[in-house]
Amino acid sequence: MSGRVIVITSGKGGVGKTTTSANIGTALAKAGNKVVLIDTDIGLRNLDLLLGLENRIVYTIVDVVEERCKLKQALVKDKKNPNLSLLAAAQTRDKSAVTQEQLKEICETLKKDNDFILVDCPAGIEQGFQNAIAGASEAIVVTTPEMSAIRDADRIIGLLSAREEIESYKLLLNRVRPNLIATNDMMSVEDVVELLACDLIGIIPEDTGIISSTNKGDPIVNDEKSLAGQAYRNVARRIMGEEVEFLNLEEDKNFFGKIKNFFEKTIKDIKAKI
Amino acid sequence: MDNASIENGFIVDLSNAKNTSQLIYELSSILDLPEARNKKICLKLGDTDLNQSQLLSIKALIDSMQDEIGMIDTSSAQTKAAAETLSILVAELKNEAESENEQVVKPEEIDTVLGIVTTVNDNNEQSQETIPLTPIADFSEVAEAGGLVLNGDSKYVMMDTTGILPDEQKNHEENPESLPTLYLNRTLRSGQTLSYDGNIFIVGDAHPGSEIVAQGDITVWGILGGIAHAGAHGNVNAKVRALKLNAIQLRIAGLYARRNDTYNVPFVQKSNEFTPEVAVLENNSIVIYKKLRRDE
Repeated sequence: MSGRVIVITSGKGGVGKTTTSANIGTALAKAGNKVVLIDTDIGLRNLDLLLGLENRIVYTIVDVVEERCKLKQALVKDKKNPNLSLLAAAQTRDKSAVTQEQLKEICETLKKDNDFILVDCPAGIEQGFQNAIAGASEAIVVTTPEMSAIRDADRIIGLLSAREEIESYKLLLNRVRPNLIATNDMMSVEDVVELLACDLIGIIPEDTGIISSTNKGDPIVNDEKSLAGQAYRNVARRIMGEEVEFLNLEEDKNFFGKIKNFFEKTIKDIKAKI
Repeated sequence: MDNASIENGFIVDLSNAKNTSQLIYELSSILDLPEARNKKICLKLGDTDLNQSQLLSIKALIDSMQDEIGMIDTSSAQTKAAAETLSILVAELKNEAESENEQVVKPEEIDTVLGIVTTVNDNNEQSQETIPLTPIADFSEVAEAGGLVLNGDSKYVMMDTTGILPDEQKNHEENPESLPTLYLNRTLRSGQTLSYDGNIFIVGDAHPGSEIVAQGDITVWGILGGIAHAGAHGNVNAKVRALKLNAIQLRIAGLYARRNDTYNVPFVQKSNEFTPEVAVLENNSIVIYKKLRRDE
């Protein structure tokens, strides 16, 4: 078996790299793939929290490269899905604790018995980023429909396209708010794609459920009712090579619009009665 | 005098320096060593009086060598005050044995310091010793599989470390009272590791993401949220105590327990919700007692 190594990166912080990694990883594992998530954000790790695995970490990636344990011993199995495991970052060190060659070697080893290796990249374009992309042959660039995030994504795409080892890179547009797009207060999906001239792999709507799922340590793809969860499941299917239509977020807005209209009408009726 | 150690750091003993310029000279010659880069440095300053600007220049010197001051150990009130203004950690090291029979523990005797130990002795010769990294797996014991309910409370479950930690075990029984104690009055934050060859007493909180490793007991007069490893070299008599025991993992000797997934920790905890607890090893598992026992 030779697995695919996909780095999830963005340049800008706070656009949802870690959330995306946790959700795509979980969705791919739910679909029957063997998946390893690698957190390369050494010193500011979060992926373990999002997966609810913080209390199970004994060894980290730094222990692996410093040969205090075997790679296998450091893989933390997910609570729900035995197909998914996490290689956690160390919290007590910094990015310089791991080199590009070491990360590449880890990816090569994991490729042998996994279908997907997802590398969660830290923000920035410094050593942490260079480490994260070292072993990857594919990339997902996460951005939000904001000018600052798009500028940073553009910089990242430039860096990725200059790298021979990266065979493909796709754009994931996160935190999209259709109601703001409708009122011209937010850039539309088409605008972003045109600005960045990059293929889309997913559009994730803004979802307040993400906050509680992050705090609970349970990725939102496990929530069958959530629209963001559905969008992430679709991304996973696209990664696996399926053709999946993008969610029509407009329709959803109309649905909420209908509810809103219904309530407004009811309130009006009640007021009229009074 | 004892030495505290911070992971990836070393101790520089400058307590014999006669004046500030000699102190800075000694320090810079040690920092020049290639092994000394990117390390946390614990400075032993003895009774040398330093004012804020002198300490600031020492800090700048250390920063310029890409190092970081981990903590300073001083008996001078002036230096202590200056360090506090610059928010440098001052470790006030108390050792009962020392006051009784003037026993001095040399840095070389401390085997958990990760990295190198450099001391400057009286005739200004530098002696260097590279101390090997002590893997936490050296003193392990295979935990019994399955979720053990501890003292009728399912706050923690034992971790099955089979295949994760090596099988061999080197346990011993030592009374933590016979070990020196590191006393700290500060908050331990995420990413900070404190390891010490004795007991650790912290007045303050240990935030999630921090790590405390002691050869003896760990006592936190506050909320313990990170990882606590008591009896890290296999002392099965070691205990972990806290006013609020929320540790993400509790480790005593070679036994590991993790906080139960179903146990929810509130975002903020008030001091009136504190319930002092102690974790001890009993019958090959970690047991938590709600109250500190009388013999504690």
